[in-house]
Amino acid sequence: MIRVLVVDDSRVMRQIVIRTLRQAGYDWDVREASDGAEALAAVRADEPDVVLSDWNMPNVSGIELLENLRAEGFETPFGFVTSEGSPEMRATADAAGALFLIAKPFTADAFREVIEPVLA
Amino acid sequence: MSTDVATDQVLLIARDVFSSMIDGEEGHLNAWDGPTPDVEAPVHAWVDLFGELSGRAVLTTATVTAHDLARALLGLGEDEEVSHDDLVDAFGELANVVGGNIKALMPDAAKLGLPAVADTVPVLEGALRVQELALSWRGRAIVVELWVLLPGAGG
Repeated sequence: MIRVLVVDDSRVMRQIVIRTLRQAGYDWDVREASDGAEALAAVRADEPDVVLSDWNMPNVSGIELLENLRAEGFETPFGFVTSEGSPEMRATADAAGALFLIAKPFTADAFREVIEPVLA
Repeated sequence: MSTDVATDQVLLIARDVFSSMIDGEEGHLNAWDGPTPDVEAPVHAWVDLFGELSGRAVLTTATVTAHDLARALLGLGEDEEVSHDDLVDAFGELANVVGGNIKALMPDAAKLGLPAVADTVPVLEGALRVQELALSWRGRAIVVELWVLLPGAGG
């Protein structure tokens, strides 16, 4: 079973992301982290198969999390789920090594569209 | 610098957010028919925008409506209690998503702040309200405002 780490400072949004994953047909093993610092510790302790992370969070942001992971040698597949989907942010995410960026609000179809190619 | 976010763009954003996150279907959020109503026992959620263009996106609704929005976001039944923390989290996240999508229309706004929720909104010194859109969600009022700081203004 695929193990995903869902990172968002909003418990409500983590719940929505997890619900949407299930609606999209991904019955994955889910762990949660409430900011980038917590996520970094979670990956160091037990690397998941994929990270789905918010961008804008206190302490360590999503982009800082991704940069830290890559600097430490973790190649964990990483996607953003964020309220800001501007072309600039997509380019920044891409340059940092993110596989995709899902803009909120999202649907189960939007999850499938970006996750299916990663699983293939 | 562009502050030109049209009312119909904000309405489209809000409809998209509500149909995806709240209702699971379209058709329950519309423009309010008539002048912007007074919201009783209001609660506000807002996010600040920073950059060459700075400002604030604010959502205002009745506290009872905010509770119902939180229930919808959390998938709770209509009789289930919503804690204060969940109300703040849910209504704040709604403002965050609406604000994030508005920010995408404003290329000079470089950064989005973290959402805040309170009974009153602190004054944003030097800001001008450039947008006010009253919405009806299942007949209940939700007001979206967009404020921008004028160049050279304090704040």
